[in-house]
Amino acid sequence: MYEGVHAYPDGRATAARLAKTAAAFGYDGVVIRNHGDAQTEYDPGRIGERYGIDVVRGIEIRSDDPGQASGLVGNYRSKRTIVCVHGGSLNRFAVEQPAVDVLAHPMDGGDINHVLAKTAAENGVHLEFNLARVLRAEGGERVGAIKGLRKLRELVEKYDAPYVVSADARSHLQLRAPRELVAVGETVGFEREAIASGLAAWGELADRNRTRRSDAVIEPGVRVEPRDGDGEGGR
Amino acid sequence: MRLGADFEGVKHLPKHLRPRWRYLAVGIEAWPDADVDRRAFQRALWFAAGNLLGDVGSAALDSSLLHFRFDDSEGDAVVRVRRDAVEQCRAALAAIDEVDGQPVGLRIRGTSGTVRACEEKYIRRPPERSKERTVAFADTERPAVVRGDRIDVVDSDGRVGATALDIRDN
Repeated sequence: MYEGVHAYPDGRATAARLAKTAAAFGYDGVVIRNHGDAQTEYDPGRIGERYGIDVVRGIEIRSDDPGQASGLVGNYRSKRTIVCVHGGSLNRFAVEQPAVDVLAHPMDGGDINHVLAKTAAENGVHLEFNLARVLRAEGGERVGAIKGLRKLRELVEKYDAPYVVSADARSHLQLRAPRELVAVGETVGFEREAIASGLAAWGELADRNRTRRSDAVIEPGVRVEPRDGDGEGGR
Repeated sequence: MRLGADFEGVKHLPKHLRPRWRYLAVGIEAWPDADVDRRAFQRALWFAAGNLLGDVGSAALDSSLLHFRFDDSEGDAVVRVRRDAVEQCRAALAAIDEVDGQPVGLRIRGTSGTVRACEEKYIRRPPERSKERTVAFADTERPAVVRGDRIDVVDSDGRVGATALDIRDN
């Protein structure tokens, strides 16, 4: 299972500290999804090796302007393994872009309807069930977040849209172990399996995109297989 | 009517009618300057359960804090809960993000059927003491609290959690 996190300077812990803590909590990987204007320098290979966890380069593109967001998606698609779009006003834009992997927190400052859910499903854009405000807000804000999650869940089920789940941690202290997120999800109406598969989906996206980016793939669905006796990496 | 001997004094329920308990071992982490005491943590658990699960859910947990230790920015607790409400208790604990306004990280290390097994298996000896040091973080010399591989740095906006990998010369 994987988590999508914001590292320093976007959050209050470095990629290494988040990875170390996530590994101790039983995660297989973390996706570093800092906002575009708060990027960070880190060495995923070195961190991953030290703490025994897959560190995935991601980004969360944030913009008020779909035109600018479109340019950023094009720019970062080849530089990041997982490309997320900051949900809210960009919801419609994001679900229409097959190049977008994840529409982050679509119900926070925005909305999803049947048309957008269907479009997300068609384009393979994963909708995020973001548990941040269930875990860290209270009162009316939390009630609103739980209502948003329910609406999103009903639409995702109806249109079989792909999804991810995250606690959206901005520090090692905000990380919660997979079992804890399953329990929290259950209290707000999710099936236990839905939370687990939403956490696993980050890792599946990373695998898929790494395979696509490797030079063995010519175009989606067509890849070069090594010939017998050709050895590894033959073409 | 004559009261039998059974009615004198406090009587415990017969064993098969007593609630079945589970014991959750909780690991707690905070920033170096945090001061979390038992009462504050207990209050945080009550509020978390009440807010997330409501009065009915809180009553169903019937949770109580049996063990608590916190010093030098980390600690552990043992929470007793009704056996059929472990998952709800887990959710309530996960939703504690602050104690007395101080951010905390929580993790359920494991659950056991007896308090003794829980403590033996999941409650560790207090870890090595932390040391204050100046470190080179993001190209600037910063004060920090170091505990093994974990390094909490003070920058202009507050604390940053880092590890030895983030510090130059490591």
